[in-house]
Amino acid sequence: MGLTKRYPLAWKRKLLVALDHLDLQVRPGEVFGLLGPNGSGKSTTLKLLLGLAVPTDGEARVFGLPPDSLEARQRVGFLPENPYFYAFLNGDETLRFYGKLCGVTGSKLEKRIEELIDLVGLQNGRERPLRSYSKGMLQRIGLAQALIHDPDLLFLDEPTAGVDPLGSAQIRDLILRLKKMGKTVVFSSHLLEQVQEVADRVAIFSLGKKVLEGSLDSLLAESQNTQINVSGELTAEQQEKARALLGQEIRFSRPHLSLEQLYLRTVQGLPDPTPAQNSRRS
Amino acid sequence: MIPSLFRIFVIGRNTLIEAVRQKVLSVLLIFGLILVGSSVYVSTIATPGLDAAGLFDEQIKFVKDFGCGAIELFGFAIALLSTAQLIPQELHNRTVYTILAKPVRRAEFLLGKFFGVILLLALAVMLMTLAFAASLYWQETVGFNYVRDIYDQHMPANWQNNPQMAAQYHHDIQDIVNKVQDPQLIKAILLLFAKMVMTAGIALLISTFATSSIFTIITTFMIYLIGHMEGMAREVWLARGAETSIWQSGLTGLISLLIPDLNSFTIVDEILAGNHVPWAHTLNLLGYAEVYLVVLLAVSIIIFDFREI
Amino acid sequence: MSSTLPLSRRLRRAAWVALFLGLWAPFKIAWEQKIAHEQDFLRYQSVTITRELRDQLGQGLTIGVLGGMRSIVADFIWVVNVTQAWEDEQWFKMDGLINLCTSLQPRAVTFWDVGGWQLAWNTSVSAAHDLKQPDVLRRLRASRFWIDKGLEIYQRGIENNPQSWRLWAHTGLLYQQRLQDYRTAAYYYQKTSELPDAPVFYERFPALMYGLAGDDQAAYAAWAALWQRLTPEQRTQMEHIPTPPDLVKIRHLEQKLFIPKEKRIFPK
Repeated sequence: MGLTKRYPLAWKRKLLVALDHLDLQVRPGEVFGLLGPNGSGKSTTLKLLLGLAVPTDGEARVFGLPPDSLEARQRVGFLPENPYFYAFLNGDETLRFYGKLCGVTGSKLEKRIEELIDLVGLQNGRERPLRSYSKGMLQRIGLAQALIHDPDLLFLDEPTAGVDPLGSAQIRDLILRLKKMGKTVVFSSHLLEQVQEVADRVAIFSLGKKVLEGSLDSLLAESQNTQINVSGELTAEQQEKARALLGQEIRFSRPHLSLEQLYLRTVQGLPDPTPAQNSRRS
Repeated sequence: MIPSLFRIFVIGRNTLIEAVRQKVLSVLLIFGLILVGSSVYVSTIATPGLDAAGLFDEQIKFVKDFGCGAIELFGFAIALLSTAQLIPQELHNRTVYTILAKPVRRAEFLLGKFFGVILLLALAVMLMTLAFAASLYWQETVGFNYVRDIYDQHMPANWQNNPQMAAQYHHDIQDIVNKVQDPQLIKAILLLFAKMVMTAGIALLISTFATSSIFTIITTFMIYLIGHMEGMAREVWLARGAETSIWQSGLTGLISLLIPDLNSFTIVDEILAGNHVPWAHTLNLLGYAEVYLVVLLAVSIIIFDFREI
Repeated sequence: MSSTLPLSRRLRRAAWVALFLGLWAPFKIAWEQKIAHEQDFLRYQSVTITRELRDQLGQGLTIGVLGGMRSIVADFIWVVNVTQAWEDEQWFKMDGLINLCTSLQPRAVTFWDVGGWQLAWNTSVSAAHDLKQPDVLRRLRASRFWIDKGLEIYQRGIENNPQSWRLWAHTGLLYQQRLQDYRTAAYYYQKTSELPDAPVFYERFPALMYGLAGDDQAAYAAWAALWQRLTPEQRTQMEHIPTPPDLVKIRHLEQKLFIPKEKRIFPK
């Protein structure tokens, strides 16, 4: 369903090679992260996959179709890194406009708009023109318009850039929810912590080349070591026992909250998340 | 086909809303002022002539000329300026990315934007025509009073009872009515509208490959002026012989093959002068403009399809 | 931007554009020729235009430069400058401006009409009473000069606007009032009455003019022709007017010319 196959791609701009022979494959239903510094080719990759640019070599395929075909674009949603929307429209009108362009009309469109406004939490901004929106609100309306036609595949370009931690967390939750719904999500970011929390597989870019690719588990896990989490504190005795039991170099330390978790807890009054949330889910 | 047209319509409507919300049409207020001002100024001139209605000729001519001239000028300005920044703005703001990420063809996007400009022009022309009609109606009333005064002053008393004089009076009044309530003015407005739309089409074509709006504006303006001389160039080119220089035949040939004959739209002058221009000819001209526009749009689409964004 | 595209794609794009324009070009030229043809006919009621090339070029360039705004320019020049020149009594300047306006918009009857009138009537009368010129003969000559100038305007106006009844009628009036040339006036009035939108009463004027010229034969012929054209109802109508001046004239002429009784309209 959400299968994309890609072959070597390159895009030469004068003597600038924006992307050099990228070979990439995204499987349906997974969350794929594109990582890398600015100018490393992440945005170029997204543009090529959206049909907004044409590769110099090789080809891109989305659902087995050329990315600029109408059928492919019908099943794809895009959140641009900056709000490339019409500032003179308000929230409702923006969703209505893009919805109609995707072929969603009438009462179905209105229902969808209500759902999405709720989903992204823009009730009190929907009647105001986009030029009055904060960055966070713009990201939210951006997500809403990306989802307006219920696409199977989502491209999110820096979805949490410039968004406060609360909003970031909401977006992160949304991505996970979309994954549960069976959608495929490809997003680029250079906020590594956040990528770590949602992505199944990542690719790391540098200077137009894909340097590394694989599942987070396999990439991040320090294969040599094992981590055991124990609730509560261990006395010195227990520590000795553990050492004796396992007969290995054991390091005891307190699991740390991430700063984000602390912030969220403080701001929202959430209960202490277990340290287990820090490590990779498999 | 239908979804395609629908998308064009959606984009067009959006473009129109953008223009209206950015108060493009408020420039028409200046139009209204000019119209009112010129009408008032004109009615202060009174050059008597050889017959009563004839002397009001000048006033009516002036109001008609000025009204239609202003419509043409403002229409041209709106057509040129709106279209010139149509595509550059989308590219600059990158709003085009979001749209093209949706299932919208590039051609539909381009046509949709252009359709929005046509809607804007149509709206502007309708408003201006209403103002024009109002000023004409006012002039008509002034004219009636004028003729009445002339008769009262220069004819013997009780001239109304003299059938010949009464007939002449009615003839004079009818003359004014014919000049003012000239149904041919509709043709004039339609032709001016067609000319504006062609100008917008040329601007669109230039903008598909231009690097800046200023370039588009200047180039389109030059083409507009050359277009008024295209008839002459065409005649020279068609009549070229062995002694015509390469430069001359090359230049006139280039103009004849590419530039539209905008001077043919000055047949509006004939209509304003009160001379009969049949519908057949009007439709012929409108058809020419339409087909030319299709060519312009087709070439624009081809160029835009290949453009990197 | 386009320099980054590979040659093949650029060529492909250019080829498509050339194809479209190439198909359109001959069609375009043919269509434009047809339109121009029709417009020549609409404007001048003739297909071949016998305007001087200098005039044509002048027209073309001004049209090009003014971009179709020439009617407004002409109007402005007229309203501002012509009236000013009249008030300042700068006759030659006014004449020049009249010529300018008529050149800009030869199809605007009002320029010819009012311009010719200004010259043949106002200016010429003013010249005849010009106190700065003591010599009566010179004054009369000047007066006649301006009448001729006005006549020229009217005649060129008729050339450019042969359908304008006003120009024909006022030329006739010029011959009648300013030149006392009643026969030529009669000719112009006749032409006036032949135009569809002329006022009806102009059809009587030729007969009246011949009368003024003293040519009773021609006058009677004209009256008779008019009478023939009336329907029986119209004739009875005319006879019932209390004092029909025209019928009185006809009777009078018939007596004066000793028309045989059989041929008379009013045998009595």
